[in-house]
Amino acid sequence: MRLLVVEDDPDLNRQLVAALDDAGYAVDTALDGEEGHFLGDTEPYDAVILDLGLPKMDGISVLEAWRRDAHKMPVLILTARDRWNEKVAGMDAGADDYVAKPFHMEELLARIRALVRRAAGHASSELECGPLRLDTKMARVTVDGVPIKLTSHEFRLLAYMMHHQGRVVSRTELVEHLYDQDFDRDSNTIEVFIGRLRKKIPPELIETVRGLGYCLSQDGAEAASK
Amino acid sequence: MTFNSLAFRLIVAAAVSCLIVLPIAGIVLNSLFYKQLERNFDVRLQVLLSNLIAESIDEQSPDPVRPRNIGAPEFMQPLSGWYWQIRPLEGAGNVLSSNSLTSEKLRVPSLHGVAPNKNGGFQNYAKGPVGEKLRVHERIVDFGDATTPRRFSYAVAGSSEEIDEEVTNFIYIVSAALTLLTLGLLAATFLQVRFGLNPLRKIERGLAEIRSGQATRLEGEFPDEITPLQTELNALIKSNQDIIDRSRTQVGNLAHALKTPLSVITNEANSEKTSFAAKMVEQAHLMRDQINHYLDRARMAARVGVIGGTTDVRPVADSLVRALGRIHEDRHIEIGLECAQDLKFQGERQDLEEMLGNLLDNACKWAEKRVDVVFEVSQKTSGRGLSSLIVTIDDDGPGLSDVERVKVVKRGQRLDESKPGSGLGLSIVTDLASLYNGVFELDRSPRGGLRARLELPLAP
Repeated sequence: MRLLVVEDDPDLNRQLVAALDDAGYAVDTALDGEEGHFLGDTEPYDAVILDLGLPKMDGISVLEAWRRDAHKMPVLILTARDRWNEKVAGMDAGADDYVAKPFHMEELLARIRALVRRAAGHASSELECGPLRLDTKMARVTVDGVPIKLTSHEFRLLAYMMHHQGRVVSRTELVEHLYDQDFDRDSNTIEVFIGRLRKKIPPELIETVRGLGYCLSQDGAEAASK
Repeated sequence: MTFNSLAFRLIVAAAVSCLIVLPIAGIVLNSLFYKQLERNFDVRLQVLLSNLIAESIDEQSPDPVRPRNIGAPEFMQPLSGWYWQIRPLEGAGNVLSSNSLTSEKLRVPSLHGVAPNKNGGFQNYAKGPVGEKLRVHERIVDFGDATTPRRFSYAVAGSSEEIDEEVTNFIYIVSAALTLLTLGLLAATFLQVRFGLNPLRKIERGLAEIRSGQATRLEGEFPDEITPLQTELNALIKSNQDIIDRSRTQVGNLAHALKTPLSVITNEANSEKTSFAAKMVEQAHLMRDQINHYLDRARMAARVGVIGGTTDVRPVADSLVRALGRIHEDRHIEIGLECAQDLKFQGERQDLEEMLGNLLDNACKWAEKRVDVVFEVSQKTSGRGLSSLIVTIDDDGPGLSDVERVKVVKRGQRLDESKPGSGLGLSIVTDLASLYNGVFELDRSPRGGLRARLELPLAP
C-alpha cells in the first residue's frame, strides 16, 4: 500500500511518515501544495493524507484539482480547522474522511486502514483468502490460525495482494504501490519476494499469470481468469 | 430635560438674555416717553406764560395789571393744580395771582437757586399749595427804564400729575407687552431647541441600535453640522470592528497554528513510554482543551448581537448528511432526513452547521444502524409570537442515563474515551443554542438510543 502525505510542518510530516512506515505502508511526502498535487496527479496512491493550510496551493484546491482529473484515491484531510462548515467544505471538495489536529496517531492509522480497505471494496478489517488471514489492525498474518513471520516488504506485498485478491496484479502495479518514489525500482525484486512468500504461505494461493503478473486467490488463477 | 443638558443651557441662555434685554428696553422706552410728554407739557406752559405776560400789559398802567383770561378755566377753580402768579422783584407791590391759588404763594424756581435756561426763563418741579406736584415755568420781565429797573417775576404752574398718570399707564402697557414678548420668545426658544436638537435624539437611537447589534453603522440623513460627526462615527465604528475582526482572526490563527506543534508533541511523547512523555501528553491535552475553549469563546464573541442573516436549512442538512455518511461509511449507518424544502433558520449558516454537525456526528458514532433527523415547525408559538424550528436527532445506540445526560453537555466531558473526538461538541451546541435564545436538550429516544432536540428561531 502506497500513501502520500502532504503536510507542510516538517516535524509532523516526519512523524506521520515514521508511523505509517511502521504500519507497513510505502510513503511519499510533499511539503507544499504544488508538489503534493503533482505527486497525486502522477503516481498511483492507495490513499492520501492532506493538510489544508499548505504553502503555494491550498489543500482544498489540490483536492478539487485531483477530483477534476478523475483521480479517485481516498483522501483524508488532516487539519487544525475543525469547524463543521470547514469539514463540510472539505467533504464537498471530494475528501473521504476528516481528522482534526491535534490527533491521536492510532486514530489516524485506523482511519487510513478503513479508507484503504473501503477503496478496495472490503467491509471487514480482517481479510481472508482460504486459510490465509490478514488482520489489518494488528498487521498480522495467520495461516490456519498460526501466525507467520514476514519481513516488512513481504508483508506489504501480501497485504496489497490480499486487498486486491481475485484480480491479476501486474509487476509494475506492485512496484508502484509497494515502494515509495525514492526506491530503486527493479521488478526482479518482486519475483524474489513472491518466491519468499510462497515458502511461507500455501504456495498455490499465488498464481503466476504469464505475461500479466500474479493473482492471489483461494482457487488459483483459473478462478480469476474465468 | 436635566440641568446638565444642551436644551437646558439653550433655554436658560435665552431666558437670561430676555430678562436682561427686555427690562432695559422697557426702561429706555419709558424714559423716552416721559421726556416727550414733559416737552409737550412745557410747550403748553410756555404758551400760557406768554399769554399771561401779554394779557398783563396795559398801556395806561406802568405796572402789570391783572389779566382777565389767559385761556384756561382751571385757573379760576381754587386749588385746581393750575396757577399763575405775577410778583414784583424790586420794592413793595401787589402780588397778582390766579383765583385758583387762593391766598397761597407759588414756589418759583428763581428763588430756589435754579439756573436760567438759554432763553432766560426758569423751570422746575415744585410742591403746590395742597402738596401736589407742579411743573413751574417762570420768566423775569422788566417794566422799568434804563436807569430804574422794575422787574416782575411771571410764573405759570400746571399739575404734572397728568404726565405721571400717562407714564404709569404707559408702563403698564409696555410691561404687559414685554412680558408677553418674553414668554413668546421663551416658548419659541423651547420649540426651536426641541426641533434643533432632534437630530441628536436620532443619533442616540442610531447608536442604541448599533450597540444592540441591529445596525452596523449610523444611517440616515443628518443636518450639515452633524454629517461630519456621522462620518467620523461610522469610520470609528468601522475601524473598531476591523480591530476586533483582526484580533479575532489572529486568535483563530494562533489557535490553529498551535494545533500542529501540539500534534507533533503528542505524537513524539506517545512514542516513548517514560513518565516524562506521559506528562507531556497530559499537558498537551490540557493545552488542546484550552485552545479549543478560547477559540470557541472568540467565535462566540464574534456572534454576540450580530444575528442577521437567514439560512436555508435543507442544503445544510443535505451536505451534512452526505459528509457524515462518508465519514462513517465504515459503520454502514443509515441516516434518515426529513426536512421541508422551504425551512429557514434565523441565524448564521456556520452556527447551524456547527450545532447539527456535532449532534449528527455524535449520533453516528453511537448508533447501531440508523440515525434519524427530523426538522419541523413547532405548533405552539413561542413568547415572541414566532414559530420555532424544531430539530430532533434520534439514534438507536446505547443511549445515556439521566445522570450522564446532564454530565455530557458540560465542557470537555467525555463518557467514553475510546470513541474519537475531543468531547467538546455538546457544550458548543449548548452555547450556540443559548446564543440564539434556543433550547437544547437530551432525552431518551423512542428508538432506544439518545434523542437530541434543538429549538431554534425560524425565519419567516
